[in-house]
Amino acid sequence: MQRAQISALREGALASAGLLVGIVPWGIVAGVAMVSAGLTQSQAVAMSVLVFAGTAQLAVLPLLIAKAPLWVMIATALVVNLRYVIYSGVLAPHFEHLPRRWRVLLSYVTVDGVFALFAGRYRPDDGNPHKHWYFLGGSLVMWCAWQLSSGIGIFAGAMIPLDWSLEFASTLALIALLIPLLYDRAVTWGALAAGAVALTAARLPLNLGLLAAIAVGVAAGLAVARLGPRNGEGRD
Amino acid sequence: MAAESWLVWALIAGMTLIAFLTRAVFILPGSHLRLPPTAERVLRYAPAAAIMAIIVPDLALVHGTLSISIENPRLVGGLVAFALAAATRSILATIVGGMLALTLVRLI
Repeated sequence: MQRAQISALREGALASAGLLVGIVPWGIVAGVAMVSAGLTQSQAVAMSVLVFAGTAQLAVLPLLIAKAPLWVMIATALVVNLRYVIYSGVLAPHFEHLPRRWRVLLSYVTVDGVFALFAGRYRPDDGNPHKHWYFLGGSLVMWCAWQLSSGIGIFAGAMIPLDWSLEFASTLALIALLIPLLYDRAVTWGALAAGAVALTAARLPLNLGLLAAIAVGVAAGLAVARLGPRNGEGRD
Repeated sequence: MAAESWLVWALIAGMTLIAFLTRAVFILPGSHLRLPPTAERVLRYAPAAAIMAIIVPDLALVHGTLSISIENPRLVGGLVAFALAAATRSILATIVGGMLALTLVRLI
């Protein structure tokens, strides 16, 4: 490794160290929530390492407890992860010159915080040859913090009595995660519409209510964005 | 409550695939594929809608029946959590406050 690569790696790692305050409690909660939802410790560790997507993990747990069908849980994980499709589109031009194994690695480790740091710092056409090292440095810090804090939660979760209702922590964590997502009027109205439909359509078979709620929520968001003044436009 | 083992492993496998593919979809092909603007607009609204659609029934339905009451511990805990999340933006405060409110309503 060259000096410039090490220095970019270290800069990324230092920048994302500021995100640790957020990710550590989050990982502990995810660990506890997985075990409380009935996953064995090895299943919970496998989910943390293989999936490595906290929001999707937390989103499927209430559905698993409610005995939703497998395809509904996977469809939900997909919808919650759709934001990564946007990130992927933004990151692609930065990484297109890299070998395939690099692109596989950087895809796997992408998380919200590092994406935000990276997108705020580099432009696709800046010609910086070491920026993927910055991304990797930040991502490695987040990966290690996530796995360690999940591990703590998984092993602590097994010791916490079931009647503490700690599985509710995954719903509470989703609330903490939802608030910053409601950054403009259209997104907020879309989410509220989705919540209302989810409530009224809860009796639909096969948890179709959840998918109907998401569809109506997206439609409501688009409609409000079209009707109202263009506030919050361009903030992503 | 423990889910069947094969179901959980199938869920982990499916989520692994989803989590990787959503992140790799544009990075991996390495070409100049771009997301159409319409798709980008739809993608803006979907995650928040999905998360809210999971939260609301979990708070307001008790055994499938609507329960809007201060005697519903999950509803009170959830509302306290919403208020704390909006005020503090802290995951820890949100979860601790929500769990405390839930426990309090249960005890009373």
